[in-house]
Amino acid sequence: MSPLRRFLRTPEAVAGAILLGALAAMALSASLLFPGDPQAIAGPALLPPFQDWSLPLGTDRLGRDVLAELFHGARTSLAVGLAAAAAALAIGAVVGTLAGFADGLVDEVLMRVTDAFQTVPSFLLALAFVSVVGPSLGIVVIAIALGTWTGPARVARAEVLSIRERDYVANARAIGMHPLEIAFREVLPNALPPVLAMSSVIVAAAILTEAALSFLGLGDPNRVTWGGMIAEGRTVLRTAPFLSIVPGIALVLTVLGVYLAGEGIVETTAVKRGLS
Amino acid sequence: MSDFTVSRRKMLAGSAMLLASTAMPSLGWARTPKKGGRLVLAADSEPRNLNPAIVASNGVFFISSKIVETLAEASFDGKDGLAPRLAVSWEGAADGLSATFKLREGVKWHDGKPFTSADVAFSALQIWKPLQNLGRTVFKDLAAVDTPDDLTAVFKFAKPTPFQLIRNALPALSSVVPRHIYEVGKIEDNPANTAPIGTGPFKFGEYKAGQYYRLTKNTDYWGKDEPYLDEIIYQVLPDRTSAASALEAEEIQLAAFSAVPLADLDRISKVPGLKVITKGYEGLTYQLVVEINHRRKELADLKVRQAIAHAIDKDFVVKTVFLGYAATATGPVPKNDPQFYTADVPTYPFDVAKANALLDEAGYKKGADGNRFSLKLLPAPYFNETKQFGDYLRQALAAIGIDAQLVNNDSAAHIKAVYTDHAFDLAVGPPVFRGDPAISTTILVQSGIPDGVPFSNQGGYKNDALDALITKASETLDTSARTDLYKQFQKEVAADLPLINVAEWSFISVASDKVGNIANNPRWAVSNWADTYLES
Repeated sequence: MSPLRRFLRTPEAVAGAILLGALAAMALSASLLFPGDPQAIAGPALLPPFQDWSLPLGTDRLGRDVLAELFHGARTSLAVGLAAAAAALAIGAVVGTLAGFADGLVDEVLMRVTDAFQTVPSFLLALAFVSVVGPSLGIVVIAIALGTWTGPARVARAEVLSIRERDYVANARAIGMHPLEIAFREVLPNALPPVLAMSSVIVAAAILTEAALSFLGLGDPNRVTWGGMIAEGRTVLRTAPFLSIVPGIALVLTVLGVYLAGEGIVETTAVKRGLS
Repeated sequence: MSDFTVSRRKMLAGSAMLLASTAMPSLGWARTPKKGGRLVLAADSEPRNLNPAIVASNGVFFISSKIVETLAEASFDGKDGLAPRLAVSWEGAADGLSATFKLREGVKWHDGKPFTSADVAFSALQIWKPLQNLGRTVFKDLAAVDTPDDLTAVFKFAKPTPFQLIRNALPALSSVVPRHIYEVGKIEDNPANTAPIGTGPFKFGEYKAGQYYRLTKNTDYWGKDEPYLDEIIYQVLPDRTSAASALEAEEIQLAAFSAVPLADLDRISKVPGLKVITKGYEGLTYQLVVEINHRRKELADLKVRQAIAHAIDKDFVVKTVFLGYAATATGPVPKNDPQFYTADVPTYPFDVAKANALLDEAGYKKGADGNRFSLKLLPAPYFNETKQFGDYLRQALAAIGIDAQLVNNDSAAHIKAVYTDHAFDLAVGPPVFRGDPAISTTILVQSGIPDGVPFSNQGGYKNDALDALITKASETLDTSARTDLYKQFQKEVAADLPLINVAEWSFISVASDKVGNIANNPRWAVSNWADTYLES
């Protein structure tokens, strides 16, 4: 059975893939369906959903189109989630490989640094970083990556420790390859699969962290974010609960989708390994 | 504009009726104040320093005005808008070099010592003039306070000082603290700053950080039969959404200072047993202002500033950001000020086409992306409304081809960025109008103010004619001539736009029907509450 078919056999993986596909479609079509600034004032303020079909999800306290904000928010959430996860995986893989391959003092130093980062709760680290440097999308991505690269680093190191004893590594040494070349061309690619398996958890966590930062007013104020929308809606929670509920549901579905799809991939690859 | 004056009069008449109704218990329908009871209310901030003589701010007054009294309080119907408190009468000399206060007899401090003119002299010279945030300007020429007897205090000024200014400053700036407590040690470190001792109707009870402040009845209060309440509890509820639920659950009986969000007022006004009160804050008007950094060459151009003024739909702001609980502004003095306001100023009606034309004229053509230039916009974080107006202003500026990038900061970082580092192009600020332009309004446009003074002109604006006008007004003793100069001041500010006044707003109280004598003076939330009562 091909991996794809096996993937499609798992119902939760399919559900996850559909959710993710929908999210990606929202993010990609945002500029087509809702051209212009999503924060532009489009109608009367606090219009409830399903009243006016040109503004299907109603408007917020300034009269901005909630649906347009939701679509553009998907873009921010996905971009931040993917960028932060990519950054975290990249830093983690490099640090882990160096530590595992170099051994000795370098390993000791890199792992203690990793320990230091791990002892600080990642959300607090992000919070502190953003409040010092100032909120903008790039800073938020770095802030989230700062708190999440330690997991991939540890996994990569463990994997490298076992790989470096393999014969082909010894062969590479014998033919005189530079140690760094061996580390990054021979060892790292083989150590990657278990590290990549962590990506779904990291993406989901990154999306949630971004939302939490925006909720606390530390997101990029010039972009629509779901966390920011929830925070805005909170002040009118009793009179216009939909303003918080709509982006809240979007957030839940996204995180669920990322997680389910990730689980599906892990399971598919695990089964494949077990069979082979 | 004339219809506004009428509505203000109507409103004043309405409040006078309200006062009359509570002041005349002989009328059958009036409620008689009842003695006893504990008033529990929401407090959204926990000021550390509770000494109103040093920190003259509403957050401090809210609690300490019940403990420490001023010489006079604002009043709807009193002469010059004042009602006597610790002073029973006041008079300024014609030459502006002295002002005489006759003090109330038989007043005792909470520790039993008598209150005398020495306490007033000490407070004025040792605290108001050197230490108080607002007193530093108003009392800068105060040279001495003579005390010919225990009940007379004569303020002597080194330079002629308009008595109108001193009078207008009394409600907020003249908190009298006991000399015998403060004369030992450093005033700033005195323990009475956190557990104040005053002459007011309530004594300081206790403060539990994060939980509550408790004030207890002063049985020796000078007011006959006052106070009515036995206790006041300030329940600390920092979350704005929790005040409304606490009111509905009858855990608290009052939420002042708009602790209930504006958007909830419509719903909560329909809850039986609760009422929404918009009165009682007439003396505490906040102004929504666009602060401008004139160091930016685009913004130094009057046409650009006019364009921005034309781009702002003030009615939309009042209706949407403030949900109608505000008024549009025409200039630096709010419409509800009875002494100084003039409507006779240049105005900037909402007109996007005109704004675009003005920008074209100024030579800032739209680029390929539709933008003329970019600006950094810093909305002050203190109020939801200032933040929301920041969001709105960004959109309004986009409509005229100005790309505004929002920068959000916390309070401390905002004050540093705008008033010390000048790292802004436009900022949204909420300055307070305190009954006289000389107290905290003229410094918003005056030049020569050192860096780092919050809520002052930090935009690098310099206009010699306006500076001269401000100086002249500060030296003019005749009340009507002085008032005319401030009308002139409003005109010049509206014409040259050193800043753009957008709206004026004040606070809303939500209270249980059981609370009586609410909002019976223009600074009610920060007055002494000696006559506030609870029905059982």
